[in-house]
Amino acid sequence: MPYLRQIVTWEVQLFLLGLFGIVVMQLLAGQISTKNLLYGRKNDTGELSAGADGKTHGRKKDDTLYFSPERVQLLLFTLGAAFYYLTQVLNNPNPGTFPPLPTSWPTLIGGSNAIYLGGKAYSRLSSGSGSSKKRRAERGEP
Amino acid sequence: MPTLVMITGYLICGLVGLLGIAILWLIFTGRIDLSRLISEPNGDASMGRFQFLIFTFVISLSLFLVIVSAKDGPAFPPSIPGGILTLLGISGSSYAVGKAIQFSDPAGIEDRPVTVTITPSTATVQYGQSLQFKADVVRKPDARLRWELTAGRGSITPDTGIYQAPPAQVPAPAGQPTIREHATIKVSCLDYVDVSDLAVINLA
Repeated sequence: MPYLRQIVTWEVQLFLLGLFGIVVMQLLAGQISTKNLLYGRKNDTGELSAGADGKTHGRKKDDTLYFSPERVQLLLFTLGAAFYYLTQVLNNPNPGTFPPLPTSWPTLIGGSNAIYLGGKAYSRLSSGSGSSKKRRAERGEP
Repeated sequence: MPTLVMITGYLICGLVGLLGIAILWLIFTGRIDLSRLISEPNGDASMGRFQFLIFTFVISLSLFLVIVSAKDGPAFPPSIPGGILTLLGISGSSYAVGKAIQFSDPAGIEDRPVTVTITPSTATVQYGQSLQFKADVVRKPDARLRWELTAGRGSITPDTGIYQAPPAQVPAPAGQPTIREHATIKVSCLDYVDVSDLAVINLA
């Protein structure tokens, strides 16, 4: 039975590491799309678009992309928390138990997520309803 | 009886192992398509999904390490710290709220189509010379492409997009002015219907 236990351990370890390796490899190779991961979209489809001369050139057919600092900070906090906790698990002084998480981490991650969601909500909702503008534009209304 | 239990254990272990290998192999070869693992329906990657993915991996790997490192052999930990559950809860809630914001406007959930664009869209190629064209596929970067010459002379490699111009200009009939030759190439996405782009080549 000890052999069976060892085989199961290896099996699960290889599967988890294999899955992790493939996902990381595909993320780095671009096979898993990370397009616009750090970009948000303003909800401005259908709004009049102005050219460099200041004159309008029809209506926008798609939402405007913008570089999103709230996504960058969430990415940094997420990766930081993940690496920190993995390090804690690997150097765990009490084997067989989860190492405790500093009490400040949930607050930090929660705050980071709140900033991200706030930014997302602001960009999606502040410009009014883009879809209604789109429908108006399709009908030729101002 | 213990022998039967042991044989059954090995059999189940072998089957689960084979299943795991099959899943990894199908992902590796692209039969299980993960290209939109962290993408929203509109094709943009989502930070909420990415965070969920990272935390899931970290917690699952941690759980495994904790189980196998128990002093008296593999054992489930007696308790899971509230901090970990809170983190997972925050991540899940953030994802759910992000979805709600997105669903508040239909534009956020519309599936934008896959598009392909040839670069350069127009080019001048000398007779006898070759030119490498590139195709930028949006929302399906690993799509299979096929290049073809739809008009004019020359040839194009179907897989790589290298256009080879004809060796020399066709001589004009006596008394007629020479005509500038053009060729048109097309790239198509093999995985999708009607996803293609054209480029014009001026021969000089």
